Amino acid sequence: MSVIAPKFRLGYFLKGIFDNAFWILTIVTLAGIPAIQIVLFYLELPVIDGELLTAFLAFTWLFNPTMQVPLIKALIYSDLFRIVAFPGFGFAALIAAGTIFVERKMLAKLQLRVGPFYCGKVEGILQLAGDGLKLISKEIIIPAKADKPLFWAAPVLFVGTAAAFVALIPVAPGGWVVADLDVGLLAVFAVIGFFPIITILSAWSANSKFPFIGGIRALHQMVSFEIPLILSLLGVVILTGTLNLSEIVESQSSFPWIIFMPIGAIVFFTTMLAELERIPFDLPEAESEIVAGWLTEFSGMMYGLVQLGSYLKLYAFAALFVIIFLGGWTGPVFWPPLETELITEGIPIPNYAGDPILTVAAPGLPLLDQDPNEWVLQQQGELQYTSGQLLVSGVIWFVLKTVGVIFFILLPRGVFPRIRLDMLLHIGWYKLIGLSFVNIFIALGLVYAGVIGPGGIL
Amino acid sequence: MADALFLAISVLTIGSAIAALEMRSLVYGSIALMGTLGGVAGFYVMLDSPFVAMFQLAVYVGSIAVLILFTVMLVKRELIFKKIEDPKRKFAGIGLMLIVILALGAVIMDSGIKTISTDSDPVDFREIGGDFLTYYWPALILMALILAGSVMGALVLARREDTIENEQ
Repeated sequence: MSVIAPKFRLGYFLKGIFDNAFWILTIVTLAGIPAIQIVLFYLELPVIDGELLTAFLAFTWLFNPTMQVPLIKALIYSDLFRIVAFPGFGFAALIAAGTIFVERKMLAKLQLRVGPFYCGKVEGILQLAGDGLKLISKEIIIPAKADKPLFWAAPVLFVGTAAAFVALIPVAPGGWVVADLDVGLLAVFAVIGFFPIITILSAWSANSKFPFIGGIRALHQMVSFEIPLILSLLGVVILTGTLNLSEIVESQSSFPWIIFMPIGAIVFFTTMLAELERIPFDLPEAESEIVAGWLTEFSGMMYGLVQLGSYLKLYAFAALFVIIFLGGWTGPVFWPPLETELITEGIPIPNYAGDPILTVAAPGLPLLDQDPNEWVLQQQGELQYTSGQLLVSGVIWFVLKTVGVIFFILLPRGVFPRIRLDMLLHIGWYKLIGLSFVNIFIALGLVYAGVIGPGGIL
Repeated sequence: MADALFLAISVLTIGSAIAALEMRSLVYGSIALMGTLGGVAGFYVMLDSPFVAMFQLAVYVGSIAVLILFTVMLVKRELIFKKIEDPKRKFAGIGLMLIVILALGAVIMDSGIKTISTDSDPVDFREIGGDFLTYYWPALILMALILAGSVMGALVLARREDTIENEQ
């Protein structure tokens, strides 16, 4: 017992702290500072107010209130921020983490259970952090006869492919997307095509029968549902005449496409459930038949990575549904414009007697406008909304719609049983492909009847 | 930058093509084949035609490579291949490849490819689509009919009477 939990002694405690501090300082001095300097040498630094931002200037400006806003602005509009934080990985991972928690809690409420309850006092809010810590601290076990390079590579590739999918999703107007491709929708199809390969390779490399059965099922399912998935989106491409996802969203400024093609939306939603391996199409991970399907042999953080990848994929599919059928970020702009006095002379704040004691001014604002002149134009009445206003309300609309779609993706898990493989293939090959062709013919009819498209009524 | 990228993609494509032929493990061979096809997609991107590149990825890497992997995993290797270690064959194959490459290269170099100006605008994929649906539509319809006919023929040939009777 004393081995597991030795008696607390202040001397040992202090020695531990000093040891850690010594080693951290040593490593930072010997490795960290040279590494930072080497990275700074290759980094392209932004120019703010006609001055090149060096590391020294950045540290100085961090504590200068008038320069903080331009500094943050330069950071927000850098490519690194796009890839790591906002429309890219960080944003998607945040939504994915929220999805995992909401899924557990919501399914529990649906099935009259309690769900995560004890972790974090309030409705188990810290359960996710606890699970993450558990996954990180668990041992990674690799089967003795597994094909090791492939087995190691599969989870990383899965997360990487899901992140590539996320990178194609535009989140807000004004080019808030990591990769704004002219052939964005085709790139989405190309990225979706990588998931079955990774699944089958990881299933084969585990060298165990349950993963292999699950992998073969996943392959059947994904390959056969990819065809209706692609066909169901072609109707929107015919109507808009573009493959760029941002342009598809902008074409829906007056009405979303789900009004004209509900059949396509239903087909896409069903194929989405199948591609995501969610109930009722979760045969590849059927836990009551084949342990955990193609995830059986993964342990520790490898399993965590695959789960992270699959939830990133869920977010990306829901966002794709929002972009193509629900109008993306379009919606009424409700974010108020900035007060003039706030930027020019500041707003005086009075005390109880009405005498102004304090003036609040933010000379560097507006923060989110790419072009600061937009704000001036808006004050003169030439511009209705600045890009900062559009960005904030657009992101809020986009997140609201995406969360709604994610809710409808999660909902069947609490309600439906799993369907048989032959029923699944029958649905995919007979019904969904036929329905998606019906959708394409509706789109063609709308174009040729002159309702939508070049020279149309709407 | 473009030269370095071109060299990197060339090394990837040719190296993984050689690996696809030389690997003992069929699964790794098909992964190397995927690398080759992906490298070809990279060439298309460098040639300013992302449309073709995305179709290359979606069709060849996403579908055909999956089919190859699927077949390789379901078939026992010993049944389809016998190991033949014959250096003569290897050298004959390499020689044949060199002859073919030289002949093709001579034909391509002779075809006036050097006179093409490289700074012209890339062809928009909308124009390609328009051409397909206006000028080339009989060829498209013909190809679709041939493909449909061959798929139906394959289904008829692959249909086995006994299994259907057993199911009932």
